[in-house]
Amino acid sequence: MGALANAFYNSVVKRNSVYVTSIFAGAFAFGVGFDTAITSFWDSWNKGKQWKDIRDKYVQDADS
Amino acid sequence: MAAVQLAKKAVSLPPTCRTLASGVPAASYINFNVREPAGHGHAHGHGAAGPRSDVPARWAGGVSTSSSAGLVSKSFVSVPSTGVLQRRLMHSTLPAKVEPQVPDFSHYEAKSDSTNRGVAYMMIGGMGLLSASVAKSTVTEFLSTMAASADVLAMAKVEIELASIPEGKNAIIKWRGKPVFIRHRTQDEVQEARQTDWKALRDPQRDEERTKKPEWLVMLGVCTHLGCVPIGEAGDFGGWFCPCHGSHYDISGRIRKGPAPSNLEVPVYDFDEANNLLVIG
Repeated sequence: MGALANAFYNSVVKRNSVYVTSIFAGAFAFGVGFDTAITSFWDSWNKGKQWKDIRDKYVQDADS
Repeated sequence: MAAVQLAKKAVSLPPTCRTLASGVPAASYINFNVREPAGHGHAHGHGAAGPRSDVPARWAGGVSTSSSAGLVSKSFVSVPSTGVLQRRLMHSTLPAKVEPQVPDFSHYEAKSDSTNRGVAYMMIGGMGLLSASVAKSTVTEFLSTMAASADVLAMAKVEIELASIPEGKNAIIKWRGKPVFIRHRTQDEVQEARQTDWKALRDPQRDEERTKKPEWLVMLGVCTHLGCVPIGEAGDFGGWFCPCHGSHYDISGRIRKGPAPSNLEVPVYDFDEANNLLVIG
């Protein structure tokens, strides 16, 4: 635990430039991941109710 | 000698006075209110029968009866208590520990300094991460409120049937409040537009960049000089001529002569091949 904390401190926190950059990069990754997770949860929660799920019943594509 | 021994003789007598816990002396079985028996057999000049003259005032005490203690006589005078029945401390009494002593905080201290530091920076960084995400989504959501909604975007498109414009003719339509020139060019005009030495022009641009299909030229009908609407099939170069200040555009809409600084602008457009439509916007 202590070794892990020291590795974290020495690699990320020690230089403020690295720390702030990693925070912003983490915020970007978190935003993308959060969006993806919420969207997939929404789709699974509303499975069968959305247009993209029932489109096949009503629309016959010309080439399909 | 006998008299001295007599005086020293200890006898066991019940106490006639005790001290209550409140410090008030209480003498039982004494009744100061009792009357002197009338006529106690002699007359030696101490007054007639009546209340005793040495009865204390009512504020100083009194006699009452109690079921447990019988007759209780109290006198409310300030006497030092003879016994301490309970520990009494005044506010100015010093506590037992006079020395200020620092409590033992070792239970609350971090077990490991490095772990503590890592966790602290982790929490700070996580807070910053969440704050950055919140700030970013706040700004983007606010900016998205300024964007045009889907119905507005749908209304902002214009469709034209290409079959309605014969070859060699101009059509002027209104799109987002501005005129749009559509020219169905002949093969000769296409040849002319493509063979021009475009590198020597004021705003060098190839005709291939300005058209998606060679025979269809679509441009905004606003002169790039001061915003007049040029006249079609006029000017020295067979294209458009702006009457306001005399700018000449060629058959590809490029500025060739006059004060205008750049070519006529080409809007975003697309061809709907299935319905033979031109969609602008």
